[in-house]
Amino acid sequence: MVRILFIVFLCLLVPGLASMGYSLWQGPAAWSVDTDVFWGLPISLFVFWIGLAHAGTLISAIFLVLDVKMERRTSILAELATLCALVVAAIFPLMHLGVIENFYMVAPYMDSRGSMANVCSPLVWDFCCILAYGFLSVVYLIVHMLSEKSAVAASIHRPLAWLLFPMVLWVHTVVSLDFAATFVPAWRGAFFPIYFIVGAVFSGLAMVNIMLCGEGYRMRQLEKLMLVGSWFLGAFLLWDWALKGDLNVVVLIFAVLLPQFWFVSAVRESTLGRVLVASSVLVGMLLERVFLVFPTGGSGIGWVDLGLICFGFGLFGVIFLVARLKLSRLIEGEEVLMGEVEESAPKRPATVKFAYFPPLTTPEFRALRFPLLLGILSCVLFLVWVVGCLEENGIAFSDVNLIPLTCPIVTAVAGFVLCLRPLVFHIGKVGGIVMVALAVLLGVLAGMVYGGVMSVPSGSVVSSTGDMFDVNALPDSTSSLDSVAVIRTKAVFEARCAGCHGADGRLNEKFVREYYPVPQDLDLARMDALGEDSLVNVVLNGRTNMNPYAGRISPQMARGLVRYMRLLAESARADGVRAKAGEGGGE
Amino acid sequence: MTPLMSSLACVMALAQAFFLWRGKIRLLKEGLLLFGFFVISCVFTLLVGSPNDPQLEHYPLQMLALCLCFSTTSLPRYRRRYLVMAQALWFWVVLFGGISLAYRGIEFPWARALAILALCCSSTLLSRISKEMEFCLMVFWIAIWILF
Repeated sequence: MVRILFIVFLCLLVPGLASMGYSLWQGPAAWSVDTDVFWGLPISLFVFWIGLAHAGTLISAIFLVLDVKMERRTSILAELATLCALVVAAIFPLMHLGVIENFYMVAPYMDSRGSMANVCSPLVWDFCCILAYGFLSVVYLIVHMLSEKSAVAASIHRPLAWLLFPMVLWVHTVVSLDFAATFVPAWRGAFFPIYFIVGAVFSGLAMVNIMLCGEGYRMRQLEKLMLVGSWFLGAFLLWDWALKGDLNVVVLIFAVLLPQFWFVSAVRESTLGRVLVASSVLVGMLLERVFLVFPTGGSGIGWVDLGLICFGFGLFGVIFLVARLKLSRLIEGEEVLMGEVEESAPKRPATVKFAYFPPLTTPEFRALRFPLLLGILSCVLFLVWVVGCLEENGIAFSDVNLIPLTCPIVTAVAGFVLCLRPLVFHIGKVGGIVMVALAVLLGVLAGMVYGGVMSVPSGSVVSSTGDMFDVNALPDSTSSLDSVAVIRTKAVFEARCAGCHGADGRLNEKFVREYYPVPQDLDLARMDALGEDSLVNVVLNGRTNMNPYAGRISPQMARGLVRYMRLLAESARADGVRAKAGEGGGE
Repeated sequence: MTPLMSSLACVMALAQAFFLWRGKIRLLKEGLLLFGFFVISCVFTLLVGSPNDPQLEHYPLQMLALCLCFSTTSLPRYRRRYLVMAQALWFWVVLFGGISLAYRGIEFPWARALAILALCCSSTLLSRISKEMEFCLMVFWIAIWILF
């Protein structure tokens, strides 16, 4: 069974890899995007997979802190699935960046070139949240697996769960802000943060239920929780419909109505029935994410997009199955092996015996107070530094927009400090030396990132006056560009450049001002100051956040694009002059 | 929304809270009740407010959070924990709803968010919660709901 599943996932992964490679080579132009769909499928897939990445933490950490007992194997499997889903989820926003090799530049720090990520951008929040969540999830899984044999690891298990509890909810809330903070009316909604959490938890539960069916196991409470999730999702869909007049019936059928078949005992008591119900939830949630980005109903989805969907499922399945088999002894412990049990006994999870603790005296609080204090201090220092940097560079910001960065910083620092204790206890002298070496290596890497070494585009630097470039074949000034050349250049500009630079050359507010370090306007004065050759070089070889286009467009085309941009800048200046004259006339 | 309707929403949340966690706590029963309360809150918001008012987009969620806060006073065990969690949910709704709206030019409700946060943090210091303290907490929640 496992072998068949592995082959199926591999069959999905291979064509998926082809789509992924093509997407990376072509950039966002490879996806089905147009004026209605200006974010491609990768964002839908990101939201879907990050939702699935909530399952493990929800089931394991939240149940642990709420004293709901459950089988160790179920919770570890769910945590493993979380990590696999997180790996898949993290790939899609990287693709969405377009400049994948410069991904680290969305980290909120000031590098040696004076480049500072826009901390008011949801993408920067996403980056910090996923990083902190990924780190804590890995640590949590390791601690959980070791906790049976190590008392020290067991002592930080519950405190770690308390740290992860808000973090898991924070991650998906911040994902919702990617949409809620836009100017697209269909994506606006102050209820989105909770709506997204419900959707994420709901789909995560469906995934875990399918996994448990695969294991020949069952947990009735999780099935009931999934059912409650379907009701709430239905309520949110109806509320969205009431506000915006837009109801997606297909999602309602798959994610809300079909799961109600669980009430039919024949469906509920058969493994196939439970798998079908949970699969219906997954399909519904995937469609919900797709329709969110594709208001046209997903009719324009092309083969590359379908390949990316296959890539996601294939990669998840392959990673999960490999990890599951490799870690089977650690996961199962003294329990039965995968597939040997048909069904678990239908028992309710027992609750831990009630024990009263006076305020601020619980063991978790005692373990967490120092790490949390350090986390909060680090966060405050970071915010003070960021505010100073922003003010120094004259970047406008709102205090509210710094809030989403607080939780990942506090939890990451607190989690790290909390883990130091068992690490120091376990590793001994040799381990200590290895840790110091790793810390030095990490410092060197951080220095390289700070210095911008990695942002130099790989591959050979192409000269703007290279062999293929015949400067005499191009007109000397923009005024002499004939109309055919302008139309051709405009088509290339709109396909390749308008996403960031805007169709009118005045920067796309959404993609640039919110999602990247805030760039300077390329107005006429600045373009003339930089010079045409310098700008052609930038187009071909890239710079800070500009992707290198050498090899994808010819140097002539790069020069044509620069001249087209200058035309746009001239037009913008003329508009400005006319507007000023109009104001003067009005007075 | 008018202050009168806002007060009515508060009373509705209080009334709904009465039905939660009564008798044996069952997942499907409590889930169904919460779902029902959420739908009722949505209908109430639509009836008394305008769907075009962005500030009402997360109003039903706030009503549900307030209902959960009230309901924690009737819990038999772990009251402090769930009290803090219910208030954290309310804070969450106000905070992130406010951030979404701030992007659309609507002022962030600092006073309400900070009041809920302060109450949530100070609730962690509560020892065994007496009837008098339950009453005080409910008064504080109602005050935050109506005044801020």
